[in-house]
Amino acid sequence: MTTAALGTLTPALKAPDIAASSIDEGHRTVSMPFGRALIRLAETRPEIVGMSADLAKYTDIHVFAERFPDRFYQMGMSEQLMATAAGGLAKEGFIPFATTYATFASRRCYDFMSQAVAEQHASVKLIGGLPGLTTGYGPSHQATDDIAIFRAMPNLTIIDPCDACEIEQMVPAIADHPGPVYARILRGNVASVLDEYGYRFEIGKSALLRGGNDVLIVSTGFMTMRALDAARDLKADGIDVAVLHVPTIKPLDEMGILREVRRGGRLIVTAENHSIVGGLGDAVASLIGRSGLATELRQIALPDRFLDAGTLPVLQERYGITRSAMCESIRRWL
Amino acid sequence: MTEEAHLHNSGLAERAHRVRRNALIMAETQGQGYIAQALGVADVLSVAYFHAMKVRPEQPDWEERDRFLLSVGHYGIAHYAVLAEAGYFPEEELTTYAADDSRLPMSGMTSYTPGAEMSGGSIGLGLPMAVGMGLGLKRKGSKSFIYTLMGDGELAEGPTWEAAISAANYGLDNIIALVDFNQVQADGPSMKVMNTEPVSAKFEAFGFFVQRVDGNDLPKLVAAFDRAREHPGPQPRIIICDTRMGSGVDFLEGREKSHFIRLNPEDWARAHAALDARRAQ
Repeated sequence: MTTAALGTLTPALKAPDIAASSIDEGHRTVSMPFGRALIRLAETRPEIVGMSADLAKYTDIHVFAERFPDRFYQMGMSEQLMATAAGGLAKEGFIPFATTYATFASRRCYDFMSQAVAEQHASVKLIGGLPGLTTGYGPSHQATDDIAIFRAMPNLTIIDPCDACEIEQMVPAIADHPGPVYARILRGNVASVLDEYGYRFEIGKSALLRGGNDVLIVSTGFMTMRALDAARDLKADGIDVAVLHVPTIKPLDEMGILREVRRGGRLIVTAENHSIVGGLGDAVASLIGRSGLATELRQIALPDRFLDAGTLPVLQERYGITRSAMCESIRRWL
Repeated sequence: MTEEAHLHNSGLAERAHRVRRNALIMAETQGQGYIAQALGVADVLSVAYFHAMKVRPEQPDWEERDRFLLSVGHYGIAHYAVLAEAGYFPEEELTTYAADDSRLPMSGMTSYTPGAEMSGGSIGLGLPMAVGMGLGLKRKGSKSFIYTLMGDGELAEGPTWEAAISAANYGLDNIIALVDFNQVQADGPSMKVMNTEPVSAKFEAFGFFVQRVDGNDLPKLVAAFDRAREHPGPQPRIIICDTRMGSGVDFLEGREKSHFIRLNPEDWARAHAALDARRAQ
């Protein structure tokens, strides 16, 4: 395309909208919750070390690197090396937090996480930035399949935290967990929502944040924030929505989910910032099937395709994961 | 050679003989396997475990030990042969090699075998893992070395070179990489499958202290391991060991198809006899 042709395009939204964090209006935000929580933890835990594959600044671990320069290992653009070397550091008694984008963490690192980390019970915490559809860069950076990829890996704990409140609690919790963990995180200014609910994060536990008699939304990641907002919007229409937050995708809180699903008489909807293939929705569907329940399930998720490049507000609306799109889908299904 | 050195080397020769014998015992129980590699690398492993490395077989997780990472998982048979000789587990256990519920699986894994420090087999993990352990040992102020055994085919794996770059970047002089350069990989002669030469020049350019030696010459191996440990520079070290597949059993040496060997039952006795005959020389 020539410069002249480019000049004829007038973008409705500008560059920052391509990589903006997913903060919806009306929410308090916290700056760099992951990096700051890691610093707080590392103050008293000398075995905590940081690593990144040339994405420290873009995963908020750069603040840890500034605070503890000799405890941070820049591995360059070599994610496979980073995952495996993290396994080596763990063998020597350290707890490495290794960061890159979620796409590279999952697509590039799979064999290395499987054989150098999970099979060897190494206490590595792999942290993926830009989860799901949180960038408009296109499929190279949109981690729509990271959870599907990692769910097949034995011995790996998978966490999709909702907000800053949860990320801050998750960091010490996963450090204390003796095995490998994959967590996909939001960076920069991150909304903080769950503190309003007196929320306490625990690995492997779901949390009923809101009760309701017409619809049960089983959600993970920042889609829980949107589910809570959507529930308020739908209340105005007389639709009573419960929200069950499931931050740990693996191991899944099967008892907690089945307890809510078994109540019956409600439309069950899963909501996730991930492909419709292999994420929370599939995990819940298979759980329901295995439990002998004949319950219809609807899924709010990204489509099984390579997503468009563009600006986030437009893309998230296009693929149905905004608050308004959720409300519309639920009204249609009722 | 001083008399002391001569005695030491003849002791190593006896060790290497017993390591080869152990490998034959394991291969015979299965009737097949990676026996040619095990015979070829027996001298390298003997010098590593009985000359160079600081280990306590009765305490495999002794903090001050030198680490040994078997990157080429299918060399489990070679590793078990030397671990048994060193006393990590009883020799009687060798006949369980690759059997169900054995501690000696066909591909080496850390949770199965005393003295196995990594799960290899997915080729290309050894040097990257050595980088992480090298960083960790430096953080702890440890003087221990990390040895990692790679195959020549492994040099075509990208992560090996990612690790080589970072090992030099971080000045990991506690890494001693070993390459069993036996010229054979799964699909044929290594340098025909993928020509990775000139290997020494490549590692030198990547910042390593490089030695290339006859991997079936015990005195030369001893000297190379000594230089690798004593080299004053801050570089990671690598010893490229040119070995002969099947070394020590004449009718297996130079056999064309040797990556995975099957023998008739009577040929295992012949192999033991050939090994004993060479020892008598």
